[in-house]
Amino acid sequence: MSNNIPAELKYTKDHEWVLLEGDIVSVGITDFAQSSLGDIVFVELPEIGTELSAEDTFGVVESIKSVSDLYSPVSGEVVEANTDLEAGPEACNENPYGSWMIKLKVSSSDEYNALMSSEEYQEHCSNL
Amino acid sequence: MGLLTTSLHQVHLDLGAKMAPFAGYDMPLQYSSVKDESNAVRTNCGVFDVSHMGEFFVTGKDAIKFVDYLITNDFLSADLHKAVYSPLCREDGTTIDDLIAYKLGQERVLICVNASNIEKDWNWISSQTNSFDIELVNKSSEYSLLAVQGPKVVEIFKSIELLSDEDNMEYYSAKELNKLGEQVILARTGYTGEDGFEVFCSHDMAKNLWSKLLDKGALPCGLAARDVLRLEVCYPLYGHELNDQLTPLDAALKWTVKTQKDNFIGKAALIESKPKKRLVKLSLEKGIPREGYNILNSKDEIIGVVTSGTMSVATGKGIALGLVDSDKFPKDKAFKINIRKNNIEAIYHVKAFVTGGHK
Repeated sequence: MSNNIPAELKYTKDHEWVLLEGDIVSVGITDFAQSSLGDIVFVELPEIGTELSAEDTFGVVESIKSVSDLYSPVSGEVVEANTDLEAGPEACNENPYGSWMIKLKVSSSDEYNALMSSEEYQEHCSNL
Repeated sequence: MGLLTTSLHQVHLDLGAKMAPFAGYDMPLQYSSVKDESNAVRTNCGVFDVSHMGEFFVTGKDAIKFVDYLITNDFLSADLHKAVYSPLCREDGTTIDDLIAYKLGQERVLICVNASNIEKDWNWISSQTNSFDIELVNKSSEYSLLAVQGPKVVEIFKSIELLSDEDNMEYYSAKELNKLGEQVILARTGYTGEDGFEVFCSHDMAKNLWSKLLDKGALPCGLAARDVLRLEVCYPLYGHELNDQLTPLDAALKWTVKTQKDNFIGKAALIESKPKKRLVKLSLEKGIPREGYNILNSKDEIIGVVTSGTMSVATGKGIALGLVDSDKFPKDKAFKINIRKNNIEAIYHVKAFVTGGHK
């Protein structure tokens, strides 16, 4: 199974990657996740303005044979949703780290700092 | 208890297949991608390891008569070397399984049953043999089974000398032939809607054939692609459209219930029975219906449930089979499917989503 884990990102146990830039985090699914799911054919994302708490479900990603919830890694307000993925969900397979799904405006970086580092995520995946 | 494995298990692992438990076996779900595998079967050739399926042999003077009594479809009048798809019912008309019976000889029949029902079917079938002069044997563990499906299958089979023009294998025929130094059962059947064969053979031969087929360009395909393909052509699957509580009439399989036959198990009940359910074929412009999602009418009232759903690789749309309560079937044929928070309008289909290419 492919498992490309960029060092500059943070990760969740649910296989989302997280990038913090200023007070905005971008969230997508990892290479491990896309590889486990197989052909991704549908992505459902939240409305802009949705308020999320950490671990809230914010959307759904579907492969041909399965449905998986997407979980917010941190608390914040959805300020952008990548609607390109609704038209071209296969980008999640082709370029998982280039295919952010939502951007959240966060008020504190505490939850972000508590997420897994690339080394911790590597360890997490190797135990699955 | 650990999972069972087929003769090709190590081959699947070596190919990097994504494996999953299925009917007590560790089976390949997919190798490359479900899309590529489905496309291969529709346009070229794909090979599936379906060795987990069950094989029962009925031999003896009454073999054909016995199988005809056992199943709802007409086996007696089928030509020699023909295969017959049929439900297997109880006296009350409920369905134990669906199966394919192969008329290999006047006194020799192969019954191929679903992997998950082998024990249930065996117990039932072996309890029905009393007044028949037959011998019934369960050879499920002795046979491997490859399903080789797609428009290029004949060309590939001829190139590896598994088929010759003289074999005269018509659609839905089955023969025992000596091929590549062994006795194999070749059946022009499958469950993808495409032209294809199922090859019942020894475990060693399965490994040999698998590598020959791949060398000739057949793509290894997993159970996920198989499910997409059968759903695109609207073939029912036991445990989904059919189950222990439903009759074949509930699952739109009236065509397989030949009440004009002299006698068969469940005949009286099925003559009296009114379908409780209606099978519907629905597609969506946006979204993917999944098993268990509710089917609604135009007033958003729940009238049924999706029994199988997926994204169709061939059409690029969400497709579903579902069972709707007969008395709630809407005259306007307006349906919706509830997906999470939304009730999404569905398109009602009379025909299958995809027209298969079988001969």
